[in-house]
Amino acid sequence: MRTGHFKENPGQLVALSDSRVVWTWFAGMLCVMVLAPFLIGNYGLTLVVSSLIAIIGAVALNMLTGQTGLISLGQAGFLAVGAYSNALLLTDYHWPVWLTLPASGLIAALISLLVGIPSLRLKGLYLAITTLAFSFIISHVILYAEGVTHGPNGVFVKGATIFGYDVQKGVPLYYLVLGLTVATILAALNISRTRIGRAWMAIRDHDIAARVMGIDLVRYKLLAFAISSFFVGIAGALMSLQLRFVNVDVFALILSIEALAIIILGGLGSIAGAVLGAIFLSFLPETLRLFFSMFADEKSALFTDYVYEIRGAAYGVVIVLFLRFKPEGLIGVWKDARKYWSNWPLAY
Amino acid sequence: MTALLQLEGVTKRFGGLTAVNDVSLTVGRGEIYSLIGPNGAGKTTLFNLISAVFRPTSGTITFEGKNLTRAPTYTLARLGIARTFQNLAVFKHETVVNNLLVGMHAHLRSDPLSAAIFWGRARNEELRARERVEEIIEFLEIEDIRDHTVGTLSYGLQKRVELGRALAISPKLLLLDEMVSGMNLEEREDIARFILDLKDEFGMTIFMVEHDMGIVMDISDHVCVVNYGRKIAEGRPAEVAANPAVIEAYLGSKRAAA
Repeated sequence: MRTGHFKENPGQLVALSDSRVVWTWFAGMLCVMVLAPFLIGNYGLTLVVSSLIAIIGAVALNMLTGQTGLISLGQAGFLAVGAYSNALLLTDYHWPVWLTLPASGLIAALISLLVGIPSLRLKGLYLAITTLAFSFIISHVILYAEGVTHGPNGVFVKGATIFGYDVQKGVPLYYLVLGLTVATILAALNISRTRIGRAWMAIRDHDIAARVMGIDLVRYKLLAFAISSFFVGIAGALMSLQLRFVNVDVFALILSIEALAIIILGGLGSIAGAVLGAIFLSFLPETLRLFFSMFADEKSALFTDYVYEIRGAAYGVVIVLFLRFKPEGLIGVWKDARKYWSNWPLAY
Repeated sequence: MTALLQLEGVTKRFGGLTAVNDVSLTVGRGEIYSLIGPNGAGKTTLFNLISAVFRPTSGTITFEGKNLTRAPTYTLARLGIARTFQNLAVFKHETVVNNLLVGMHAHLRSDPLSAAIFWGRARNEELRARERVEEIIEFLEIEDIRDHTVGTLSYGLQKRVELGRALAISPKLLLLDEMVSGMNLEEREDIARFILDLKDEFGMTIFMVEHDMGIVMDISDHVCVVNYGRKIAEGRPAEVAANPAVIEAYLGSKRAAA
């Protein structure tokens, strides 16, 4: 049982964590992540990169939906904007990749303001429908603006180098994505402990009281849209680097639903939850594959034949199970476990 | 005593219903001013007008000489007007500390970029806000619940957190909407003591809507009575209590009874 932990100066009150144990774990985890390319194979590395990108997307969506309470089904649309911006700026305009990445984020943020303004008076389901409509509009615009976007042909992504390293290849891509993931998580944690994060939380919990406390709802809702979409745009750009080819079909509605599933599984409103949820859901298909491969040939063949159906069904089952048995999500499981062990062997 | 808040001919109509009808009143700096009246008299509507949640149909509201009639709600905190709500309006999924910190919003400046980096100015600002919040926590004697989620607290404590959040604005004018309803005697006495301390130690002006006549009569400097949206009496507590129009509003007249 941890005792004798006192706050001795105000600096400890605003710190992300004032516990040495937490920082040590964090440093240890970061070391493992930095050494990961030498520990796991190429296939493993690809999986890890995908899940890191999922983390960026989930942390970003959590700002909008979890922290501000604005339900968005437009994640796929913003990912598409980010991916296409990055792909086109790299391939057609030959911008350097260190410029296209932030530019993709900024373009997504600007477009999110266009969605945000008409959505300001909407809440809940109505907003969800508006954002859903947005993501359909985006895919149609991409399809029909052939002159700019290459329409149905899609775009091959090439020419992404930083200091001579091709950041579309395994290890350099991994380090780029890892760095951006850590930066995104830190930015999200920092924003949520300042007046901006608290204003979002206030809007989510009681918007009239938020206004009386001096929070300009228009400004902070738009800010939530813009900051969230900035990071979603970067996640989309990284997707385009990893996939090497983007077209509209990549950004189907299922992506938006997966993103929502991630933050619900992780625990709505919690940044750590979004991270856990993203890891959990990215490795779920792989776990399923391993599970099916334990059986005889016909059963594992079943998995290869119906991989998308089985994956979709598994997402559904997992969401239902969580909503029924652990609505606080993975972060709730984690908190319970921590409480149990920190008090062990006492009950409380 | 100089005037802090002035209402002149304020009227609010909701369709055919006139909730507040031509009310004029003056709240002086540093006083405790109570607004009373039977249920549905328009007290809370008047409060919503002053805190700019609604806009008056006609009439003007001035605070420290500034016209508030068309001011957006969110600008009031910066001017120094804070309020609590009749039905709890706390941020129930957050901790007590975070609830109080929201009250500091109007005094903080950090922009998205400096917030994301959380270094230098943004951090210093948070530190100062946190220290100020600790003072309020100490004043309201809620040290032991500071890290609790507000939704899990008892009703009386949630009300106290809501009061703390309003205090974090460092208001000149504090609007309290039925602060002690649903509280037990001990909690009510605590609140009465806090209100008196706020007036005496911090020179705050308090404007409250209250049904609890005990508190109103004990601590108010001025009392205003409204009925059917109209002001029917105003004055010292004892004068108001003896006013025949007030007695009629609350108890009915002899003629009506007969």
